[in-house]
Amino acid sequence: MSSARPNLAIIAACLVALAAGVAVFLLRPGAQPDADDTAQVGSTPAGDNERLPAGLKLTELDGRAFSLDDYKGKLLIVNFWATWCAPCLHEIPVLVQMQARYGAKGLQIVGPAVDDIEDARRAAPGLQFNYPVAVGTPEDILDLMTKLGNEQGGLPFSVVITADGRVLERQLGEYSEAELVALIEKNLPR
Amino acid sequence: MPLIRLILLLSLLGTSLGSRALDLSRKPQGESTLLTADQAFQLVEARRDPGGIHLSWLIAPGYYLYRHRLAVEPADGGAALPALRLPPGQPRHDEHFGDVEIYTTMLDADLPFAAGQRVPTRLRLRWQGCAEAGVCYPPVTRTVDIATP
Repeated sequence: MSSARPNLAIIAACLVALAAGVAVFLLRPGAQPDADDTAQVGSTPAGDNERLPAGLKLTELDGRAFSLDDYKGKLLIVNFWATWCAPCLHEIPVLVQMQARYGAKGLQIVGPAVDDIEDARRAAPGLQFNYPVAVGTPEDILDLMTKLGNEQGGLPFSVVITADGRVLERQLGEYSEAELVALIEKNLPR
Repeated sequence: MPLIRLILLLSLLGTSLGSRALDLSRKPQGESTLLTADQAFQLVEARRDPGGIHLSWLIAPGYYLYRHRLAVEPADGGAALPALRLPPGQPRHDEHFGDVEIYTTMLDADLPFAAGQRVPTRLRLRWQGCAEAGVCYPPVTRTVDIATP
């Protein structure tokens, strides 16, 4: 019995030291993420008067230049994806289905790829895109994504823009089919 | 496990809990907060050891690194490097990538050099991972100085 007491004392001392160490570490400057460094997973409504920045130029897989301004008058979903992003590859067939179902009613999806151009070109046929895929250097596309409100860099990331150019919401992570149907049917141009 | 590593791990756990990022469902839930890639995957050691260079990452709970997306190359275009020695990862089947291996919590890797072989003082490292909440991060590339004992 008496020999157990020193052991308990040593264990207790170690636990106190560990707790103190953890506290010091957790309380050091920068130990916790700043609010500006993190992002909400799921959808985030945009500000009341937030507009799509004008003049955002993109390049299609075939080299054709276009602008997001070309789709004024349509409900626009800009969906950033990448070949290394499994949730993106899971979400794309649902987006393709939405474009087929609602394209004639005023929906336009655009898919900038955060990838090397050749990687995006190789993957595109298998993904059966029926909407424009935008390419550039990964840095260019990340820059575009930052301009559209994703400073944190996670994918998939979507921005929804109404027919009159108002940013409606941002989505970090996949949309489900049900979420997309509800979102699109509510916001298609009248 | 050295005490400092335990403390670092607990710190990451606290960071992750603080951001409510422990959602393990595939579909992201509203209101869960995501760490940045640098917060989720921290390179905590890049140092010389008797066998070559030792590298360690701490991985926040709810996040993982892909084994096949870890790479190392000379920082200044020098001589080719030996293959990075990685421990077996946790097997995971991905519908798009097939059978892959991932690392959670902690990763220790070694770059072995034979006695007398020139060991670089800088390396370019590349890694890429995801959150279990259904978001993936672009590949991270870092040039690091190798600490000497």
